[in-house]
Amino acid sequence: MKHFPTRRSVLGAASAITLLAMTACGNVAGGQSKTAEYPSGPINLTVGQAAGGSTDLIARALAEGASKTLGKPMPVVNKPGANGALATKEVAGKPADGQELVLLTASLITITPLAVSADEAVNIDDLDIIAGLSQDDYVLVASPGSGFKSFKDVTDAGRNVTFGTTGVGTGSQLAQTVLFKQANVTGTDIPFDSGKPALTAALGNQVELATIQLGEAMPQIKAGKVSPLLVFSEERNSFLPDTPTAKEAGYDVPVAQYRAVAAPKGTPQEVKDKLYGAFQETFKSDAYKEFNEKNMLTPKEISGEEVVTEWKGYAAKYKELVEKYDISLSGNK
Amino acid sequence: MDFLNPVINGFAVVLEPTNLLYCLIGVVIGMLIGVLPGLGPAATIAILLPLTYNVEPVTAIIMLAGIFYGAQYGGTITSVLLRLPGEASSVVTVFDGYQMARQGKAGTALGLASIGSFIGGTAAIIGLTFLAPIVAGFALDFGPPEYTALALLGILLVATISSGAKAKALIAAALGLLLATVGRDIFTGESRFTFGSLQLADGIDFVPIAMGIFGLGEILYNLEERHRAAKAPSKVANVWPSRGDLRQASGAIGRGSVLGFFLGILPGGGATIASMASYAMEKKRAKQPERFGKGAPEGVAGPETANNAAATSSFIPLLTLGIPANATMALMFGALLIQGVTPGPQLVEQNPELFWGVVNSMYIGNILLLIMSLPLVGIFVRILRVRAAILAPVTALITLLGAYTINNSMFDVTLVVVFGIIGYLMKKFGFEPGPLVLAFVLGELLESSMRRSLLVFGGDPLGFFGRPISATLLVVFVLVAVLPVIRTSIAKRKPPVAAPAARQDIKEKV
Repeated sequence: MKHFPTRRSVLGAASAITLLAMTACGNVAGGQSKTAEYPSGPINLTVGQAAGGSTDLIARALAEGASKTLGKPMPVVNKPGANGALATKEVAGKPADGQELVLLTASLITITPLAVSADEAVNIDDLDIIAGLSQDDYVLVASPGSGFKSFKDVTDAGRNVTFGTTGVGTGSQLAQTVLFKQANVTGTDIPFDSGKPALTAALGNQVELATIQLGEAMPQIKAGKVSPLLVFSEERNSFLPDTPTAKEAGYDVPVAQYRAVAAPKGTPQEVKDKLYGAFQETFKSDAYKEFNEKNMLTPKEISGEEVVTEWKGYAAKYKELVEKYDISLSGNK
Repeated sequence: MDFLNPVINGFAVVLEPTNLLYCLIGVVIGMLIGVLPGLGPAATIAILLPLTYNVEPVTAIIMLAGIFYGAQYGGTITSVLLRLPGEASSVVTVFDGYQMARQGKAGTALGLASIGSFIGGTAAIIGLTFLAPIVAGFALDFGPPEYTALALLGILLVATISSGAKAKALIAAALGLLLATVGRDIFTGESRFTFGSLQLADGIDFVPIAMGIFGLGEILYNLEERHRAAKAPSKVANVWPSRGDLRQASGAIGRGSVLGFFLGILPGGGATIASMASYAMEKKRAKQPERFGKGAPEGVAGPETANNAAATSSFIPLLTLGIPANATMALMFGALLIQGVTPGPQLVEQNPELFWGVVNSMYIGNILLLIMSLPLVGIFVRILRVRAAILAPVTALITLLGAYTINNSMFDVTLVVVFGIIGYLMKKFGFEPGPLVLAFVLGELLESSMRRSLLVFGGDPLGFFGRPISATLLVVFVLVAVLPVIRTSIAKRKPPVAAPAARQDIKEKV
């Protein structure tokens, strides 16, 4: 039989207390100093996606440039979860002194609310948008086995097609469901966790079509392993000039991923101006321009007000499209 | 020569000073925890996962792999000298190894074990080198239906093959599957078991579960175990086995290599089962089975070879198919995911430096182990005297700090604590945590692949049998599920066979 010698139970209790203490002292940090001189210390740039993804890379490229101008470090903090809602809500609740920023993706504002319940969604009015960053285009690709070389082949096929999306409530899903409704193509929506597995499924002919972000699809497009059929941006993408837009093909689905930097609501105007200036400086740097080029991002360096107007416009547009075609992004069609 | 190019480039990766250093660190830590009876490789890898976050993926995996196979070496030392298996996979080594030590042949036993381990490990790497690209050649044929079948088979095998009570293993696996359903349904966006918490919207992260159940759970459990005081080790001399001993053991080493290699590939297999199977095989083959338990060199050489071969070959399903074969491999899977690398058929092609870097590091690691293991025996034995009172709080602290750093989230730390308590209770009541963690990892894959397949098949489950790979895997699944039932019904008709002599109560230490 086992004994429980006192010394050992004391030890156990001691480590248990250590654990509790560790869990308890989580929220003590956070500087309170008022903005006498901004920035008063390091500026945290929170990213709601895992390290290594395109959103994270953008944040890091931006932080590198801006920290030089502002003269303070700008560490990137990854807090993945709920498509970025977790990080965004957390930053929205922080003091509005400009020391806490978040990298915001448009889909969280414009598309996610169509798929999840209201309390899980993020409202853009809870934040002050500092500046828009770039546009990341979606491209519709066809698997090698499908035989589709243009979108006309798809509409002419006159059969049910399978299409991979990068997940529920993403631009990839919205773009394809709306497109197929408009083109009277019946399709089976097969969601994947992200772009990579969706692309792999297309490469392996497990799905016939897939819509993924251009940066991810480009190596396989260049290798000739998947055929690009359409881009969903309003104008042709400079990295893929021979691929028509959905608009040219006669469909009304302007979907792309946009990104912007935001701060908690009520951030003082002079802080916002200073940040905006630092970002503008970064946008002009060769390193940042090269970064965009390399990742096939189209610069969309607009003011915070423009971001709000544009994104709200897209949110309304998508809502209208979804209602018009009676589409449910949450699968229970 | 196209095939060999990436292999050679892999050596260039390993020989980078950083990677060599981390390989060395990995095998030393591995040996160390192999010697310590409490912590197993899975627990150590779980605890150290976050520390690998800031190094290159190749470097991280090289180190973690080193811990895993290094532990197989370390576990032997205490088995032989102190009759105290440092690892579950060295339990059977106790029988003959300790007897050899008592006969003054401790050096011979350790020497045989090291040589066997080296040969077994190296043979398995060579197997891995040639088998992996073949499996990876089917990369694009592996779609959702194939993954469904693989995940099903993996969960079943893990739950049924693992040592310990089958029912309890199945319960643990079921719990793992249940935990995998937490979070937003990726097909409908519906929230499941999140209780309105955004923290749970993406489900529970694998790393806090592993760190809690393996890391913290083990630490807590070890606190209440009383270790025998480490006796002064027997004198170690004559490390080089005599020619006669070598001749006696050479067959066992050869058989152990092959057996270990195949048992390692098998989902649910691994080092522990390989060592036990090898011991049983050697005993069965021996002309004088009564020598076993009294210091038979084959009884040391066979299992020690097999456990190393298995430790190495269990990387095959992970690196080529993205299916972890056992709990430790599930942790490697987690480590790769943290690094932004998804293990799977594409890995060899898309990430050859990583793949071959890791594989080739094992050659180097095995050589390092062979060189170090014998001279360092004395030091390692002394480490056994570090008291749990010091070791436990330090490791607990490292675990919790590590848990925070992955996502900068206190919620993760809370999760680690919760799962630490669950892991502790499971161990206490005889539930193996391995099946839970593995079912958790495979559960997500199983659910999403199956639903994806059914969408592709238009809801027709017979579609799984229309594809050669998934059909084969499913047939194997049915066989594995049905076979034990048939066997018991046959056994019932026959008169009961005499109970296997003195079954050792071996708990898989993960």
